[in-house]
Amino acid sequence: MASFAGAFAASHGPLIIREWQRVPVEQQRRMSAAYRELGRRLTAAEADVLIVISPDHWSNFFLDNYPAVCIGVGERHDGPPEPWMKDFPHRTIAGHPQLAMHIAGTALAQGYEPAVSHRLKIDHGSCIPLWRMELERLPKIVPLLVNSIEPPMPSLARCYRWGELLRQAIESYPEPTRVAILGTGGLSHSIGEPTMGAIYEDFDRETIRLFSRPADELIQYLDAELPTSGNGSEEIRNWLVAHGAAGGRGFELVDYLPVPTVIVGCGFAAWRV
Amino acid sequence: MRDYWLSKLFFDLQSPAMAAEFRAARDQVIARYPLDERVKRAIAENDVPFLAARTNPYLLRYYFFAAGMKDDEFIRRLNHG
Repeated sequence: MASFAGAFAASHGPLIIREWQRVPVEQQRRMSAAYRELGRRLTAAEADVLIVISPDHWSNFFLDNYPAVCIGVGERHDGPPEPWMKDFPHRTIAGHPQLAMHIAGTALAQGYEPAVSHRLKIDHGSCIPLWRMELERLPKIVPLLVNSIEPPMPSLARCYRWGELLRQAIESYPEPTRVAILGTGGLSHSIGEPTMGAIYEDFDRETIRLFSRPADELIQYLDAELPTSGNGSEEIRNWLVAHGAAGGRGFELVDYLPVPTVIVGCGFAAWRV
Repeated sequence: MRDYWLSKLFFDLQSPAMAAEFRAARDQVIARYPLDERVKRAIAENDVPFLAARTNPYLLRYYFFAAGMKDDEFIRRLNHG
């Protein structure tokens, strides 16, 4: 049987790449160290497959059809389409269609209706953390795209349950495969709205604190605060999926730092599993 | 509110080839989309608040980034027109 190898989360703002040279040196050092530490832990977890949870930043989906959740079930995925991600070292990324289809089947059997895609573009949301983690060997990737970009979005409680569902799917997959989860994005940021550039540090710190509390308490706080904490903060959904997969046991905060140059409250976490 | 064709224009401009064509022949590209005249005027005038009310904020930000507007200027226009 497959086994759950760990859950991690990291921020992914585009300016982490585009404006990196403008980031103050000490903040560069801390961010690089945090990404590398997550990479070290993921390597130590010996994951064969990594389920990466990210929104789709209009790379695959449009208003014609924007799924709440989409699982990438392809043999291969395309690398990031953004021109400024051209130096990302993988133009295609190996998938794991058998596990991905097992996740889809497990979901459908339990009353969830994810979309599936046999060829996804894996944009900066997934690829910035994968790049910055400096992995010597990229595990096979199963993308799970969770909409936190265009309303209506899946509820926060549903995202947590998606994490529980992923854990069930992993542990019922019949092959001896080690599977880890990486939630990406967040923490607070604001994109293309009048508050653009704002980082809500109090929100971030309280959110981090509540990840060690019962999930209901965390979700209740987020439901109340997200509407006034920047639209980019909606990406906390991806952390909630990781949290659900890890049994809601809370994480070790590898680092948190608000970085105005990249307009993101940058968070890095590894769950206690 | 979402203006479908405005959003589609911004979405399509993520293609580097299309963005290059847009920079070279903006009117020609815009003519392919059945945009309301007021929307065309807002694009021509960089009327950020008008456009913001009609498209997704990520697409909006992407468009003005691709059009060469600096973030500081984008935020100023977003707040003050």
